[in-house]
This record gives sequence, C-alpha cells and structure tokens, in this order.
Amino acid sequence: MNRTRWVFLITMLVAVAIVAASLLVQRAGGVKPLIEQSETLEVRIVCALPVEPFVREAARKFNAEKHKLEGHPIKVTVEPMDGLTAMGRWEREELDPIPTVWIPDSRYLVELVNATYKEKRGRDIFLTGGEYRARPIAISLFSWGIYSSREQVLRAKYGEINWRVIHDASTAKGGWPELGGSADWGYFKLVVPNPRKNVGGLAAMIAAAGEYYGKTDIGVADVTNPEFQKWLQELMGAVTDFSSLGAYSVENLALFGYSMGDGGQLLESDLLVNMAGIQTRWQDPLVIVYPEYVTWFDFPFTIWMGDETTALEKNAALEFEKYLLTPEIQERAVQMGLRPANPEVSVTEPDSLFVKWQDQGAMTVVPRTTMMRSPDRDVLLALLRWFDLNVAER
Amino acid sequence: MSRKVNKSSRRWVLVLAVASVVILTVCVSCWMVYQAGRRDVSGENTVTLEVAYSPEKQALFEELVKRFNAGRPRTPSGKRITVVATQMEPEAMIDAALAGEFQVLSPDSSVWLSQLELGWQDSETFIVGETIRFAVSPVVIAMWQETASSLGYPDKAIGWADILAAARTNPDFKWSHPSTSSASGLLATLAAFYAGANKTRGLTVEDATAEETLAYVAALEKTVRYYGEGELAVIQQVEEKGPAYLDAFVVQEQLVIQFNERNREKLVAIYPVEGTMWKDHPLVFLERPDSTTEQRQAYRVLSDFLLSNDAQMLVLSNGYRPTDLSIPLDSPASPIKVANGVDPAQPKTTLQIPSPAVIQVVRDVWQYTKRKTNVYLVADVSGSMQGEKLEQAQEALLTFLSLIKGEQERVGLIVFSSGVQEVTPLSELATNRDVLRLTIAGLSAGGDTALLDAVNLAYERLQSRQDSERINAIVVMTDGKENNSRIRLRDLAAKLEQGNRSGVPVVIFCVAYGSDADMNTLERISGATGGQTRRGSPETIRQLYKLLSTYF
Repeated sequence: MNRTRWVFLITMLVAVAIVAASLLVQRAGGVKPLIEQSETLEVRIVCALPVEPFVREAARKFNAEKHKLEGHPIKVTVEPMDGLTAMGRWEREELDPIPTVWIPDSRYLVELVNATYKEKRGRDIFLTGGEYRARPIAISLFSWGIYSSREQVLRAKYGEINWRVIHDASTAKGGWPELGGSADWGYFKLVVPNPRKNVGGLAAMIAAAGEYYGKTDIGVADVTNPEFQKWLQELMGAVTDFSSLGAYSVENLALFGYSMGDGGQLLESDLLVNMAGIQTRWQDPLVIVYPEYVTWFDFPFTIWMGDETTALEKNAALEFEKYLLTPEIQERAVQMGLRPANPEVSVTEPDSLFVKWQDQGAMTVVPRTTMMRSPDRDVLLALLRWFDLNVAER
Repeated sequence: MSRKVNKSSRRWVLVLAVASVVILTVCVSCWMVYQAGRRDVSGENTVTLEVAYSPEKQALFEELVKRFNAGRPRTPSGKRITVVATQMEPEAMIDAALAGEFQVLSPDSSVWLSQLELGWQDSETFIVGETIRFAVSPVVIAMWQETASSLGYPDKAIGWADILAAARTNPDFKWSHPSTSSASGLLATLAAFYAGANKTRGLTVEDATAEETLAYVAALEKTVRYYGEGELAVIQQVEEKGPAYLDAFVVQEQLVIQFNERNREKLVAIYPVEGTMWKDHPLVFLERPDSTTEQRQAYRVLSDFLLSNDAQMLVLSNGYRPTDLSIPLDSPASPIKVANGVDPAQPKTTLQIPSPAVIQVVRDVWQYTKRKTNVYLVADVSGSMQGEKLEQAQEALLTFLSLIKGEQERVGLIVFSSGVQEVTPLSELATNRDVLRLTIAGLSAGGDTALLDAVNLAYERLQSRQDSERINAIVVMTDGKENNSRIRLRDLAAKLEQGNRSGVPVVIFCVAYGSDADMNTLERISGATGGQTRRGSPETIRQLYKLLSTYF
C-alpha cells in the first residue's frame, strides 16, 4: 500500500473514531466544551396555555434556524402557565429565574402586575409604549361551543343562545326533558373553566355579567350585587365538575363529550382545534355561536424590563417577537385557530380552520362588535373571592 | 544520497505526525466515553421516576412502563430515565404522596387530586403539578345479560334507582360496589347520597348529613352483599364463580370489555340514566419544594411517550378510550363495541362532582351508613405457628382491626390449636377494640390443628344471632392441615350450604398461610359459602388482611 492510501485510510479511521465518540458522548449527555463558545442568550418565556403550542412550535423553528444577536446565539425556551397563576407568581416574586418574556392571556393581566410592581419599585416593569411595549401575537374571541343536538333544542325553545338562555336552561328543574330534549341527557351541563386554574373562567363570568346588565363596563358594585350573585350561582350550579376541568376545559369537552358538558363559552381557538376530534369521537358535532358581548384574549408579548435580565437578553426577546409576527409564522397561528396579530395575514385561506368549520358556525369576520371593557383588579378579585366562597366550597 | 535521507526523514515525520493525531484522538475519545460511562455507572447520569398507579390498570400500565424503559429514554439534557412503578389503591396513594413518597401519581380519577390538594399543608402552593390523561373509561354498572333484560334493558334506560329498587324488593338480588377508597366505589356512594337527597346536582354538606339522606343510604347499603378490595378483584371473582356470585357490580367500562373478550357468558355495561362518572387516569407530577428540573423533564418524556400513537393504540386495545381524539372508537380493531357489551356513544350524562369538602363528608358519613358487619376472626395458634409466623399474623390481625373504623362493627376472635377457644366474644368495637388488641398481642402457639371445629363454632355463633341486617363473615387463617376436629369436612360443608340457604348468609374468607396450608380444605370451606381462599406468607399476610378489611 502506498503512502497516499495509508494517509487516506488513517484519515478515515480518525474521522470514524471522532464521529463514533461524538455520538456516544452526545447520547450519554455530553461533556463540557473545552473552549467556551460565545455566550448563548436565553429567552425564557412564560406562556399562556392557549397559545403555548403555537409559541413552542415557533421557538423550535427559531432555535433550529440558529438566530444570533451581536454574535451571540439565541435560544428560546417556553414554559406553559395559566395567566392567572403566572400573575400570582409574579406578584409573590416566585418566578426564579425571572423570565425574559411573559405572554399572558390578556393585556389586563399585564396591567395588574404592573400596578403591583409600581408600588414595589416605583416604575412599570412592563412597558405600554415604545419599542419594548407589550404587543399581541395573536387574538382569540370567546364564543359558545354547544353540541349540535343540544343547540337545536335550545334554539327551538328560546330562539337564540345567550347567557340568559343558558341560565334558564341551567335552572330548568326538569332538566333536558323540560327543555324539549331527550330524558337521558340529564340536566343542562355548563362548561366553565375553574377560574383559579384558567383565566378563561373569569372571562366567562365577566361576559355573563355584561349580558346580565346589558353593558360593557363591569364594576365592583355590579359583581357584588346580591341579585347578580344569586343569578350567577344558579348558573355555576350547572357546571358538572370544577375539579377535573381545571385548565383544559375544551379538551375535556371533547374527551368526555356531552356527558360532561352540553356547551359553554370558551376560547374560539380551542374550539376550532378540537372540532375534528369531537366529530371523530362523538358523532354529534359542536356548533360555534358568537355572543352579543364579545370578550377576547390578545396574548401580549411582554418583555420584562427589570434589571434581572440584560439589555442583550431584552433585545434577543425582541428578535423573537419580530419572528413571531412574520407572515410565515402568523400563518401557522391561523392554522391553529388563532386570529393573526399581523394584518397582512388572512384567515380566509383554504387551510384556515375558520374556513374549514364555517358550516359549524365559525366566522372569518364577526359582525357583532360590542366589545367588553377589560375589568379592573378589584372586579377580578371580587369575582374570585365570590367563586371561592360560593362555588368552590359548594 | 542526501535527497534519499531527506525523503526518508520526511516520511518519518509524516508517520509520527499521523500517529500522534491518531493516539491523541483515541485518547480524547476514550476519556470522553469513560467520563460519560462513569456517570452512567455511578447513577449521576440517571433520573429515576417513582410512579404510583391504581391497581385496575395494572396490565396496561406495566406494559407501558416496560416499553418505555426498554426504549432507553433520556431527558433533553442526556440523562437516562428509569420509571419504577408501584401499584397502590388511590386512597393509600394520596396518603403516601402527602408523606413525601413518589414523584408521579396515576390514580384512577382526578377526584383524588382535589383530595390531595385538600391534604396539602401549604396553602400558597399546589402539590398537583403538570397533569396529562392518557386513558379514560366511564364507570358503569356491570350486569349479566339476563339480569339486565329483567330490568328492561335495552328498551328502557336503566339507572341507579332501578338497581336500588331491585336490591330492596328482591332478597336474592346480589350486588356490590367497592369501598370509597376507589373512584367506582366513591361514585356509587355519591349516587346513593344524591338519590337520598332527591337531587342530581348541588349536593351540599347539609344534604349529605340530613337524617332522611342517611336513612335512605343506610337502607340501601343494607342490600349490598359485601364490599371489596377493588373492582379488579371483584371481576376476577365474577369470572371464577359466574352469576351465582353477583348479579350486578360497579366497575369501569374497560373491565367489562376485557371480561367479555375472555368469556362466553357476557356482561352488559349499564350507563346509569341519572349520570355516571369518568375514570380519567391522570398522570400527575407532584410539585414539592425538592422537585428537580430533571424530574420534570423526565415526567414530560414519559407523558410524551404515553400520548404517542403506539402507546395510545395499546390503550385502545386494552379496552380504554384513548385520549388522542384522532383515534376513532368505531374502527374494526376497536374493542369498544356493542358485541363487547358496551356503547361508544355513551354515557350521555354525568353526576355533578361535589366540592372536595362534600366528598370528604360523604366518605366519612358512609362509614356510619354502610352495611354493618358481624365478623369472626378465626386464627390458628397450633405449634407450627411458633416464631416469626405468629408474630406476623398478630401484626396482620391488628392491622385488620385498625382498618375497621366503625365503632358499631362487631368483631370476635376464636383461636384453635388442639382445641377451640372463643377468646373474645363477638361484640361492638366500641366496647371490645382494646380487649381484642390485648388478646391478639398476647397470643401464643402450641398443639394440633382443630380447624374445622373452629370454623363450625364461629358459624354456629353467627347463625344463632340470626342478624340478617349485617354482613356476617368469618375470616379463617391456618398454616397447616386439619388433624384434630370432631366434625368432618364433608359434614361441615353440607352444614354451611344448608345453613346459608335456611338461615342468615355467612361468607367465609380463608387465608392459606404458608406453603403447608391445605388449600383443598380451605377452598371447600370458602366455596360452600361463596367466599374466597387466598394464599399468604409471613411477608404478605399483613397486606392480605388489609385487603380483606375492605370487604366489611
């Protein structure tokens, strides 16, 4: 064998040895690098549950594309957490390490945390203006999701679906037979997420208050009115189970079908995503009905402005925010049932869930636009306290 | 000449350089592999997840864990994950979790998670962390086809009220539900309380403790043949003994499917018209102050595996409804079909789950409304029991006693060796619990084995009371062979059969303690009364008595 062949053979052997060793070591958890790379910028995101799959998928893609900022690689990690739970942890300063970004369900949660920190630190820690301001990454409305067979019976009796109709159905002493439904459907079963585990439960109660009073601005006096509380308690009495419904109410509606819930006011995106599964499992499709008073979540991308994160980390977060708002990523949001925050992206594309489920009541444009005003902190606390005392302890 | 030398030296330099690179590469590779291997061997590179799961899903869960571990899974940071699974009743699981055991739980229902939070001392934090569900199954009333037809099935929707009416009007109707330590038993009990309070939702503490409700539930519970350690054990007994054992019993739908796949005589699943409850088999990560990121990562890897298509197909093939909604229940391969006695379009409605506080009250109150018991403990104290065997048996008897919580329950103790002695007559535990404890602690062994005479004495004592309001039972334990009785086995068996027909029914549970126990004799005794014989050893005897206590 001549020298060239020897060199070739040895080079191949060395290459094979390096690859084999690398694979073994990688599989066993790796070892610390001998030479430190330039420091990775980690963007830690605490993310609301309804958009977590969307943000996680985008983060995976972003990480795979190896984005850099000033020579530093950026790595995005996502931790799912209900907005209300996260709010409590922010206020009790339990989030350790402090996340770079918080994506709560709604802007009003940001305002509530800001108010708390203003007392502690004398300044906002989430900005509402400028480059680092909180910006929605997607939007989802609250709408009624009701099993078709039940919706037909309610329509035949009441003509429309709203909180007052649902209240009357919930309190019908004879259950479904009294309403014109089948005897084996039992009584009307409402689905409302446990507001202690899912901020959607609070949103549902606020929407109910809006329709009860016929106004969009709900105050503490409204939610503490004994007559309203009696009405709300009757409504909540139709919820089958607050213990296991927990945070994932639409998943439960799909998994346990009409046996556990005939319908409820839930997040449109959750309803759209679970629509196919419901049809496969229950053969009684779900119908979407938009309420008169619309409540929505806007999932603001909120960058922590405290000193616990560096300027570079804040800018890295900004890079990911821009990425989330690109048309390509926003199109994925639409495919997941979310309404895009980027106006360049349409919900009327053929692969959009809004188009796919139009026959089931999904609308690309919702004509009625009476928007509920965001509640203030005292209203939320009053509702939660009422829930703890009157429903959770029932 | 010099050109030749130069060429030769260049070749040597090249060879040396290549050899150096090879040696260096091999050394670095070996060092890296050694480092990784050392961490694997020392356990530094391993995360062990201790998971407790409920007994009725033993076959499925063990298979899933076996497949998971066989895949040599690792966390994203590269640590090897090992799952160690332990079977445990949900009630005991919650106690263990609160005492700091296990990182992950999989009870039969989410209902237990509320109880877990209720018991968690720190009101600022939740112990229930990330949770997924990987299999669900509704709770049903299983009954024989013929029994169901006699109640109007399939033309009429049957409910709890029909079962209650049948049990109250027909003395031969035998039904049972597990104790409230399992979700099926809890559901059956809740259904009884709802019926007693004349409600289908909004059960309150006041409702559950109202006199009329308690009277209704107590009257109903008197019709229960006896309770049991869990639905898996009940269905195994039904499989063994057929319709003579029970007419109806409460189990999850999946067990009906598995039973029907194995047997010619079929059961049907009745989805109670008033509503039922789902067993949703959650997999819960327990958030404690000492929980680590690696444990959380390992939990997520396990969750992803359980929700994978392969695992979900295994879930379906075991008769559970998979949580992956894209898997249809009406495919040809699906066992959830009418031929297996079940209906994938059911249940149509569920009972409302009360708050954790109300559930706790129902469980506590049930102890007082459940059917009371007259039970004789019959214990072997012959010579062969000397030493560790007797010590373990004493422990087991004391455990049994501590688990019979109601002070109105009556317990007596008969011991036998060469002769038979009723050391503690049958009496309410309110008056004789301490006496029993002292007597059991003071037992000593010696002499022959008059097993049959001892059973005969206990049986006669129970028959003489003629107390049909209560469950009448004998729990017999022996480690040897009968050799000193006056009554013969054949005569005793005939007496038991005849007595149970004409007098009060007495059920006998036998414990064959150790390998020398005479199984044939014990099975003949228990078989004559529709009871059971179980094998026990010094290691398992305590657990066995613990299980037997759930029947009363």
